[in-house]
Amino acid sequence: MVLTFIDKTGASVLSALDTAGDFATLAGRTFAAIFKRPFDGKNLLNQFQAVGVHSLPVVILTSVAVSMVFAVQLAFGFRQFQAEGLASQVEGLAIVRELGPVITGLMLSGRIGSAMAAELGTMQVTEQIDALECLATDPIHYLFVPRFLAAIVVVPLLTVVSIYVGFWGGYMILVGVEGQSAYVYGHEFYKLLAFRDLRIALYKAFVFGMIISLVGCWRGYRTQGGAEGVGNAPTSSVVTSSLWILISDFFLTKLLLV
Amino acid sequence: MALIDVVNLSKAFGPKVVLSNVNLQVQEGESLVVLGGSGTGKTVLLRNIMGLLTPDSGHVAIEGKIIAQLSRKELFKVRQSIGMCFQMAALFDSMTVFENVAFGLRRHLEITEDEVQARVEECLSLVGMKGTDKLKPAELSGGMKRRVGFARAIALKPKILLFDEPTTGLDPVMTDVIGRVILDLKHELGVTTITITHDLKSAFEIADRIALLFRGECIACEPPAAFKVNPHPVIQQFLRGDADGPFLQDPPPPKRRTQEAHP
Ligand SMILES: Nc1ncnc2c1ncn2[C@@H]1O[C@H](COP(=O)(O)OP(=O)(O)OP(=O)(O)O)[C@@H](O)[C@H]1O
Ligand SMILES: [Mg+2]
Repeated sequence: MVLTFIDKTGASVLSALDTAGDFATLAGRTFAAIFKRPFDGKNLLNQFQAVGVHSLPVVILTSVAVSMVFAVQLAFGFRQFQAEGLASQVEGLAIVRELGPVITGLMLSGRIGSAMAAELGTMQVTEQIDALECLATDPIHYLFVPRFLAAIVVVPLLTVVSIYVGFWGGYMILVGVEGQSAYVYGHEFYKLLAFRDLRIALYKAFVFGMIISLVGCWRGYRTQGGAEGVGNAPTSSVVTSSLWILISDFFLTKLLLV
Repeated sequence: MALIDVVNLSKAFGPKVVLSNVNLQVQEGESLVVLGGSGTGKTVLLRNIMGLLTPDSGHVAIEGKIIAQLSRKELFKVRQSIGMCFQMAALFDSMTVFENVAFGLRRHLEITEDEVQARVEECLSLVGMKGTDKLKPAELSGGMKRRVGFARAIALKPKILLFDEPTTGLDPVMTDVIGRVILDLKHELGVTTITITHDLKSAFEIADRIALLFRGECIACEPPAAFKVNPHPVIQQFLRGDADGPFLQDPPPPKRRTQEAHP
């Protein structure tokens, strides 16, 4: 009884270590493959297109929605202390430091991470990845690297977009609905912020980009078992990368915000 | 020294033993045909040769280099000289037919786009697929996909070609065409080939030697003429294509008499 319990715990710890080790190996191989030749510019451009341009609407819409809701909540909350003026300052703080990068990261893990997992998963079960190997092409170099590069560039860029859009989302509520002065809003939004905050936001987005692309590609690459496996790959990639985005967000905030 | 040397190769998936102690030597310029029942591990054999699977014991050596011991870099170097044609074609479905066939050329050869174009057209017309270069794999029939896979495998003019059922699902005429292309490659370029097929007619045409896999073992490997007269009951049953005999594990359903036997 006790022994089987220990047995089971041991087995699950081992399999978790196995999974982590597998991920680390593939991530390491991706880093190592970045500077390998041949450089495939067309493939990289395609990824920028798929990852970046096509994610723009999603990021804009969610950023507008979240920043507006947040502004409504702040306006309501601060009104109770007759401190409406603080709403725009806190809005700015929240959007630049947390909401911009995290919302972008989470949305993109659903939008591009899952697409990567599904695409690579399909390629795996239809032997296309084996065909790549047979054509003497490293799938890590051919499939992982362009997705990785696209993600670490695009997620920070889209975070900037998200912050910019968030500014106007807050503007619509606080200036448009609550009737604050536009000049004051524009001024107060940045009052609690330093340039460092934008830098931290970009660091976070960079890390989220790594998580999204590596987890998405890894889940896809390790797909097994036909249609069901291909179905599971995006789900597990979104769950895993969202989790790691939130966890790493906590540690990055703790670490960088000293 | 044999170009492809399969030594005591064993491979199991869990409890299921697929290959046990298979030995095969293929000399340079030779054409080996592998026959065997469905599910006896022919594809597994090719995947081991290609290094897509690692043997449980034994090894595969190509030009004396043991595949399982190579670094990734060396492995890719060896693979550049091997072309493989997959049973299910395994075309890249986000690319057109042209891009599929051009893939290896563009990646491994430093040649101009015009030369790529010429080579792709040459390969496609060899397999009767001229004019399909703008189509996506989803717009092709099963047999057409297989032929594009064939064209992709031969595009780089590799020294070794591995064909996994290149003719299954093709009409008899096209089957003959593929057989001729394989023979041409052998005579003109001295290519070494391993072909898996279920088509006995083309097997006897293209083979220098024929091997038969049966229950994970290679029970014969000899020239076609000797293979034909091999008294082994499994081989004779396989050649006759008869359900009765030692080939099947479970006895087949009894034969129904459709016509009264004449006295
Ligand atoms: N990845 C795998 N995992 C588990 N079992 C496998 C795997 N690949 C092949 N097998 C098993 O190995 C055996 C041989 O498969 P293989 O594909 O080599 O057959 P084959 O000789 O090519 O048959 P066919 O002529 O039908 O293509 C099958 O019984 C199959 O169940
Ligand atoms: Mg097969």
